[in-house]
Amino acid sequence: MNAMLEQIINRNDTWRGRHRHFQDQNISANSDCNDSSGLASGHTALDAQLQQGGWPLDSTIELLSDGCGLGAMGLFLPAMERLSDQGRWQVFIAPPYIPYAPLLAARGIDTQQILMVHPKNRKERLWATEQALRSTTCSAVFSWLGAQDYSYSELRKLQLAAASGDSLAVLFRPNQAHHNSAPSSLRMQMREYRKVHILKQRGGNQSIDVDLSPAADEPLQPQLWELPVWTASSQHSSAMSL
Amino acid sequence: MSLWLCLRFDQLPLQCLSHCEQQPVAVMAAQRVIRINDCAAALGICQGMGAATVRALAGEEPIRLLERDKQAEQRCLQQLCCWAYSITPTLYSWQFDCLQLEIGGCLSLFQGLDTLLAEVADGISSRGYCAHHGLAPTPKAAWLLSFAPSVTAMAIQQPLEQRLSPLPLNLLKEFAATVDSLRRAGLHTVGDVLALPPAALGRRCGKAFTHFLQQLLGQREDLQTDYKPPSNFNDEYWFGYEVKTNDELIPAVQQLLQSLCYFLRNTQLQTSEINWQLIGSDKKLQNIYVRSANSHSDWKNWYQLTCLRFEQLHLTSGVEGLALACPQLQPGQQESIDLFSPHNQREPLAALLDRLRNRLGLQAVKKLGCRDEHLPELAMLVSNDHPGNEHRASQHCAQRPFWLMPQPKKLRHHGKNLYWNDALSMVCGPERIEDNWWQEPVSRDYYIATDKSNQRYWVFRDRLTQQWYVHGVFA
Repeated sequence: MNAMLEQIINRNDTWRGRHRHFQDQNISANSDCNDSSGLASGHTALDAQLQQGGWPLDSTIELLSDGCGLGAMGLFLPAMERLSDQGRWQVFIAPPYIPYAPLLAARGIDTQQILMVHPKNRKERLWATEQALRSTTCSAVFSWLGAQDYSYSELRKLQLAAASGDSLAVLFRPNQAHHNSAPSSLRMQMREYRKVHILKQRGGNQSIDVDLSPAADEPLQPQLWELPVWTASSQHSSAMSL
Repeated sequence: MSLWLCLRFDQLPLQCLSHCEQQPVAVMAAQRVIRINDCAAALGICQGMGAATVRALAGEEPIRLLERDKQAEQRCLQQLCCWAYSITPTLYSWQFDCLQLEIGGCLSLFQGLDTLLAEVADGISSRGYCAHHGLAPTPKAAWLLSFAPSVTAMAIQQPLEQRLSPLPLNLLKEFAATVDSLRRAGLHTVGDVLALPPAALGRRCGKAFTHFLQQLLGQREDLQTDYKPPSNFNDEYWFGYEVKTNDELIPAVQQLLQSLCYFLRNTQLQTSEINWQLIGSDKKLQNIYVRSANSHSDWKNWYQLTCLRFEQLHLTSGVEGLALACPQLQPGQQESIDLFSPHNQREPLAALLDRLRNRLGLQAVKKLGCRDEHLPELAMLVSNDHPGNEHRASQHCAQRPFWLMPQPKKLRHHGKNLYWNDALSMVCGPERIEDNWWQEPVSRDYYIATDKSNQRYWVFRDRLTQQWYVHGVFA
């Protein structure tokens, strides 16, 4: 193969379409960067659809939703639990509200690792996100980019920063952003409660809906999605009391 | 065997005031010239001349006449002590213009005398000074030998008395009267005096002089207080012109930080805060504090943090000088990153915290903690520092939302329906939380409500005011 072409293909941020198998055959010795398996998301249905078997750690993940991505955060709770063992920072950049510390603690997440950053403007938000991604001290970076428009080059900068590290990088963006192209290798949309739509996935299935049924939750984690198992009788009483 | 190196900064009165070599400079004390630079010497100016003679000799040439500044000399000597402390811990300043270093104990550290002397010469010349060297087993002899030609001054293999004997007695300024009477008796050199029987000399010249001679030859202890490095660091840099842009500050920042970290390394101290002071051309001072979560002594780290702060700086007026101070120094502790961690973490955790705080401000970065409280808003701690974690394993947490609003927000209601952007319907509850009766009683019934898009909210009814509020959002 042409050496220059090979060099381009070997780059982590080159879109390789569905030629993953072909890629693996060619570069067998030092291919761990291409082969890095993802971080299990804790949702079996979702893991099955994700190309790396979980959240990709070498790229940004874009999550489009309304309501500032408030409801979508539950997707990442199991991942946060796993990352908590690493003892590195879990950074929240411009979160809309405050994560409720006792809940995190009850889920086994070390609250000392949580860092909340409140940048004053758009420029600082991008800077802080890039810093957190570039620094090797974060296991997870959640950034609420807000309603503003971001150019492709700005997002690509974040994507490159994420590719250089090994942290879970999630960008929360509004639903309107799905018209614009973005460099993230995984773009998802939360359209309904417990329903994830995969808009784009590098080298994987696209344009599919993933249902996250409560039954599929890990049995040892009864508190997933923070809604307890609900008996009919208590629901009855709550309706009565209202 | 102890070995003393005396560094005599003969030109200190000149070199502490000016390093200029292009223009004749003369330093005056009591209207007489005491030191001149090479340019001035080329004009024929000598020590001891009056100001009028100097001006006459200079003619058309512009000459700078500077008044001697003894305080500046002392400051320079202190800085030199600070530098020399990295060579040997046993040193003191002597006679206003000398440093006495005991180097016998650190010869093996430097792998021999020659490398040590090369290091010393390098350090002195890089600071813009020149010094006469003297090497002897006693400090006083080393000082006296610094006046001798450098061949004898450094020749330690020769007997000490033989090296000392050609030196003139009038170098001993503190014994001026004694030296004068000896001169009248025909004794001019140190050798002449050393040849006399000590007892007779003692009777004639007094106890102080014999003590001096005994210390000179190492027959009597010569005890001096060693130099101790200062407990805090202050240094400044003068540009010599007006600085208008931030970029021009950078070289000064680098130099000051390097000297700070040199000092910190020598004293085995670390600092967690440095204070920059911009000295404006209108004599206004602007303070900039750069903090770090961990104390350390790595200058590159401090440089990075300082650059972040200086990026946001707007210079209102020109800057003439830059001062750096460290008010608090702590004994050093080394923090290391886990070498065997599977994650390629390349810097300590605090590094990111420092960068974010210095760019965005201290208030912009917060940490979370838990508290043992019943009221949801009190059960959580948001602070700039490490919040204490008094965590208990709680069963209630299963029904707690991911997001908590800083302030509960009022809900609209029409008839029996509640609205928060959308109509809400209750799915779970109530859970009563009552607390704080000793201060301001709180009694709430919490429910989990859902809207049409199935988003869950944590709402409560205040039982005292009968108002509905939303307090959290489930994720």
